[in-house]
Amino acid sequence: MKSCVHKTFPAQATPRTNKMIMMQGEPALSLLLLQFFQLLLLFSCVALNSNAEASTSGINVWPKPRNLTWSPPFQTTLLSSSFTIITTNHHNKHLSAAICRYQSLIKSEHHHPLVPLGVNISKDLPPLQFLSIRVVDPHGGLVNGVDESYTLSILPSHATLTADTAWGAMRGLETFSQLAWGNPTRVPVGVYAWDSPLYVHRGLMVDTARNYYPVKDLLRTVEAMSMNKLNVLHLHLTDAESFPLVLPSDPTLAEKGAYAPHMVYSPEDVKTLVEFGLDHGVRVIPEIDTPGHTASWALAHPDIVTCANMFWWPAGSDWPDRLASQPGTGHLNPLNSKTYKVLKNVIHDITTLFPEPFFHSGADEIVPGCWKTDSTIQKHLSNGGTLNQVLEKYINSTLPFIVSLNRTVIYWEDVLLDDTVHVQSKFLPKEHVILQTWQNGHSHTKRIVSAGYRTIVSSAEFYYLDCGHGTYVGNNSAYDNQDGDTGNGGSWCAPFKTWQTIYNYDITYGLSEEESKLVLGGEVALWSEQADATVLDARVWPRASALAESLWSGNRDEKGVKRYADATDRLNEWRSRMVSRGIGAEPIQPLWCVKNPGMCNTQHPV
Amino acid sequence: MTKQEPTLLLLLFLLSCSCFPVNNAQSTTILNVWPKPRNLTWTLPYQVIIIASNFTISTTTSHHNKHLSAAITRYQNLVRSEHYHPLAPPGVNISTNLPPLESLTLIVQDPDVELVHAVDESYTLSILPSSATLTAKTTWGAMRGLETFSQLAWGLPTCIAVGVHVWDSPLYAHRGVMLDTSRNYYPVKDLLRTLEAMSMNKLNVFHWHVTDAQSFPLVLPSEPALAGKGAYGSDMVYTPEDVKTIVEFGLDHGVRVLPEIDVPGHTGSWALAYPDIVACANMFWWPATGDVLAVEPGTGHLNPLNPKTYQVLKNVILDMTTLFPEPFYHSGADEIIPGCWKTDPTIQEYLSNGGTLSHVLEKFINNTLPFILSLNRTVVYWEDVLLSPVVQVPSTILPKEHVILQTWNNGHNNTKKIVSLGYRTIVSSSDFYYLDCGHGDFVGNNSIYDQQNGDDKDNGGSWCGPFKTWQTVYNYDITYGLNEEEAKLVLGGEAALWSEQSDSTVLDARIWPRTSALAESLWSGNRDENGKKRYAGATDRLNEWRSRMVSRGIGAEPIQPLWCVRNPGMCNTVL
Repeated sequence: MKSCVHKTFPAQATPRTNKMIMMQGEPALSLLLLQFFQLLLLFSCVALNSNAEASTSGINVWPKPRNLTWSPPFQTTLLSSSFTIITTNHHNKHLSAAICRYQSLIKSEHHHPLVPLGVNISKDLPPLQFLSIRVVDPHGGLVNGVDESYTLSILPSHATLTADTAWGAMRGLETFSQLAWGNPTRVPVGVYAWDSPLYVHRGLMVDTARNYYPVKDLLRTVEAMSMNKLNVLHLHLTDAESFPLVLPSDPTLAEKGAYAPHMVYSPEDVKTLVEFGLDHGVRVIPEIDTPGHTASWALAHPDIVTCANMFWWPAGSDWPDRLASQPGTGHLNPLNSKTYKVLKNVIHDITTLFPEPFFHSGADEIVPGCWKTDSTIQKHLSNGGTLNQVLEKYINSTLPFIVSLNRTVIYWEDVLLDDTVHVQSKFLPKEHVILQTWQNGHSHTKRIVSAGYRTIVSSAEFYYLDCGHGTYVGNNSAYDNQDGDTGNGGSWCAPFKTWQTIYNYDITYGLSEEESKLVLGGEVALWSEQADATVLDARVWPRASALAESLWSGNRDEKGVKRYADATDRLNEWRSRMVSRGIGAEPIQPLWCVKNPGMCNTQHPV
Repeated sequence: MTKQEPTLLLLLFLLSCSCFPVNNAQSTTILNVWPKPRNLTWTLPYQVIIIASNFTISTTTSHHNKHLSAAITRYQNLVRSEHYHPLAPPGVNISTNLPPLESLTLIVQDPDVELVHAVDESYTLSILPSSATLTAKTTWGAMRGLETFSQLAWGLPTCIAVGVHVWDSPLYAHRGVMLDTSRNYYPVKDLLRTLEAMSMNKLNVFHWHVTDAQSFPLVLPSEPALAGKGAYGSDMVYTPEDVKTIVEFGLDHGVRVLPEIDVPGHTGSWALAYPDIVACANMFWWPATGDVLAVEPGTGHLNPLNPKTYQVLKNVILDMTTLFPEPFYHSGADEIIPGCWKTDPTIQEYLSNGGTLSHVLEKFINNTLPFILSLNRTVVYWEDVLLSPVVQVPSTILPKEHVILQTWNNGHNNTKKIVSLGYRTIVSSSDFYYLDCGHGDFVGNNSIYDQQNGDDKDNGGSWCGPFKTWQTVYNYDITYGLNEEEAKLVLGGEAALWSEQSDSTVLDARIWPRTSALAESLWSGNRDENGKKRYAGATDRLNEWRSRMVSRGIGAEPIQPLWCVRNPGMCNTVL
């Protein structure tokens, strides 16, 4: 048995040392109790199964578990002041960290639901002393497709959490923490949960290049993701605007490309973030977007970047001749051998800094006009070459190297699907390449999986969190209109994606069963033209919570009906709990609505 | 430690005030005052000096205005301690041959004039080598000038341009923010921070939409049951002490606090204390069959035909005028929904006897307006009271000298209607000034968001979508289409935050910097000296100003990648 070990958490209160010491004397007793409780569990399972449709009202776990029952007589019990989470022997420091964190949270949170729970306060039940965790294989790494399932049972006087992996255990701990409320802390008893995600890849993408986010904001985001059982933080680290990542082999990239010396991520910062992610069951997938979106590289290496630092859409030129799709120009030059010298250092450093087996290499939005400004590329073209070949050369000079470092490579779909510049699928081995889709909703998802590729869904029409706040170019006359704008407000991906839009999107819409298997999951994406630390929480939450439930247990009820109406009340409660946990999630309704259930619905199409 | 200090100081010195010569972009950075003053000149040789660490603001006028004293203390501390670092390094030479600026001398002609509508807010400021002088007619003009001075200071050690002369005065007298504290509650500290931010932007009216159908958070001494039962929770109220704090804090910052008790509609929350005076209280807002009872969830209208309504109302109004010294009083009167009143048997009887709902409203106005006026208040109503196509009163019972109409529908058309009838108006057009728009609909079971083709290329279900960008707010001309005489009746405007989807988590980012756009547009306008809209130039300035607001503790949202302000002009488009 193993109890909580003192550890300092970057964004979490340190557990009290004296309590830690008090628990050291209890392992033998705990072992006995655990065995006894496991026996009890066998009996209770039978009883609970006969109450399959037992009420779950009044308790609120987000994302909603696949199966959670609370059996009559719907009792609750106090949490003992010496409540302890105990577990089988292991050497997984991330699991230990999670146990300490949850033990502290459960004892100190004292959550007050917006609507008081109408439950029995059972005075005759003894306080809950332990949550016993059994992890079948506590040492498996956090990778794509890892088993995150768990079962949780809370019976009078004891509670048991069983999981195959440390990561499943973390999901179960989160569920347990959300079942606790009040001061003194109470938990429902007679609860049984079986839970497992529908999709293995449930993520959030944050762009840290267009505006910078301090490390503490990223850590808080990881915490919030963990609360929502999300498991992938996709960091779009670099772009045309800035290069905030300090790489040991090529420090000039950040030195010259970052917005400021204090607006960087050092190797120590990355280590902190990666470890913090593992402590919270969140993989950190790095993206170094190339060969487009690389203007910031030119500040350190001007010779490897074409069209660097030019005006993005020159006067008198048509859109197809633009140099970039937005301000900030520059593409790496695939025909310059020095490009690959720099790149190999970058890629090597990234794989050293980020243990995660997925590596995102970008490859979106190749703009022909940018490459065409370069004389070497011009020569290539005048000799009958094409821009597709230029991209092909780029992919062939980088992909094998990344794969040789034991990485699966994610590209944005453009590398294969872009109308203007793309490569043939034979250069993108399906076993090593995943394509992330962002355009044309389900039709692109379909194209990708029907070509045999695995995909991650980030449809701009559903999952882009930045949309609907207008355009940001400085001198846009569209907003000087004295009659008002009845259109979409000028944001290319408008309107704003409400939490319902995200919740209701079916990422395998229109796919066969076989095709659906290639959909790993989805990511909501926050591009940062109009976002930074001031708005991070409110832009991401609770809309990413909507994604989290949709990809964990789905957006339909047992009858297959979309459950967004019921989710509204639950999300109000969950958002309130996130706020009290320090996440500045935005409100979705007047408080009046959750206090008057059903009254904020409509009986008409609106 | 002591050995290193001079080196450190020197380094900071070089960082903050180095390089030469001054170009246009630099002068924008150094002289970036928001809202842009009407007239600001910086004369050759473009010198910059240090502000002494023991810098003081002294006033030659003897006065007993505690608000002026509070402002002087606040600005003296701010100027000494802010050390703002511009996003684009100013890169100017400090004139080491000039002595540090020791003080700012303040001359206020009449420091005891009160903060009321149309009070003189003009000031002149001159910053010369070794002396700086701020002159204003009133305390409130002095506060505006102090804000300007504070924005001219930057760096560590604190620097300021000299040879600067400012003359400034607002184009519009009424420049406000409306905040709805009923649909969601905001703690007092958030309101105070909002007042601070308003003062930074030279805004002068905080229109507090205190109550609505959803909750009644204001504790009134004569009617404590209204908040006792109508607030969201006992911790979600504004006590008389809170109001006093807010009002005084507003005066310290040159911001009037104009309260709104929205009646007779939007009063569902009153029914928790007084069910008998509220028609259609707590019913489903839009029944599957029959008439709609409210424009959104939360039903209830005060019943004008019940005498008890006026007993409660008189207590409420009297308490309000005691709590809020402000001479304007907002009485709401928007969105009368016929279906709601029609549920009441007394009103049904009245209608069956040949009465109309407009008569019912007329009765309500006639029973309340004279009483409010008797308390020396000018009454602001939403335009609906006169312009609603369904239920409205004749202009004969709305005396133009005592009534102001706030417009929110149909853009400049309704502004025109109101002023051409001879009423003064405050502009809060929902097409331009509603800060909550563009975030979708909040109804709980709305099926429009279940579309797998994502074919919503429209406004996303928000009734007033799209989102109003800062440029939309900035560029709106509130006297568009009016003649000179009519334009004089436009007192100004207010950006409005309705709180269905807002609370303190998003307050700052929803309001700022979009309301800064309003602040400049109404203070010095949205056009340059040539009469051309100046939104492009305002972009870089607003980036800097937003950054300064953030460093002052206001969580204003970013408007561009930081790259844009570092690369001036590169984030523009060629049109």
